[in-house]
Amino acid sequence: MTFSRTDGDGLTTLRIEGALDAVSTPELRPLIDTLISERVPSVTVDLSGLRLIDSSGVGAIVALYKRARAFKGQVTVIGLRDQPLAIFKLLRLDRVLSG
Amino acid sequence: MIRLRVPGMLRYRDLAVRAVAAACKLVGEEPRASNHHDFDDEVVSAFGEAFNNVALHSYRGRPAGDVEIELELSADRIVLRVIDFGHSFDLRQIADPDLDALPESGMGIFIIRSFMDEVTYEAGERNVLSMTKRLHHPASAPSAGEDVQRP
Repeated sequence: MTFSRTDGDGLTTLRIEGALDAVSTPELRPLIDTLISERVPSVTVDLSGLRLIDSSGVGAIVALYKRARAFKGQVTVIGLRDQPLAIFKLLRLDRVLSG
Repeated sequence: MIRLRVPGMLRYRDLAVRAVAAACKLVGEEPRASNHHDFDDEVVSAFGEAFNNVALHSYRGRPAGDVEIELELSADRIVLRVIDFGHSFDLRQIADPDLDALPESGMGIFIIRSFMDEVTYEAGERNVLSMTKRLHHPASAPSAGEDVQRP
């Protein structure tokens, strides 16, 4: 799993590629903590390069969303496809998180 | 029958998932229909959660053990068995999560039940989680009779 953060014009994009699962999700947690501590007002999570996600990975993205919501921050997920899209649809997150 | 035995540790998750994903492609007839991608995604999702459960829970507090994966492939279905030798659990006691509450954990069994057509669990010295998915038959919502827990 690889991830990157880009900031510009008041928008922050978090791009996650590869597999976000029980093995790799802990690597992402520090960045999520940073985004929350910085109170970033709007985060777009780009999953167009994500080929696999499990419930651990979903939990991390949901945690980001809920913690941002606490200070009225926005989290939007884009680029869902294939297996990650199937998981998000099952958990009814595609409507909650998709822009 | 395809058998794979690996240590029940998360670092072996990727290897096991890739093996199951490759096995999915052997189910059904060539050329594969477009809905086979859904079949593959759902089987891989369910298996990944089952593997996680073994790696995270089965050997907690005891020496790490192995997980055995058995795959039976046929023209219209796949049967997966995930076998461990650690702690047992009661599948019937695991309720579906409240999705409206946006849970951050506890979704693994729900994913397994939702994506697989049949799920059974046999507890013992050898715990066996069996999951079956048929091609061309959408996974139905779990009913009272579809989770089978064998003592």
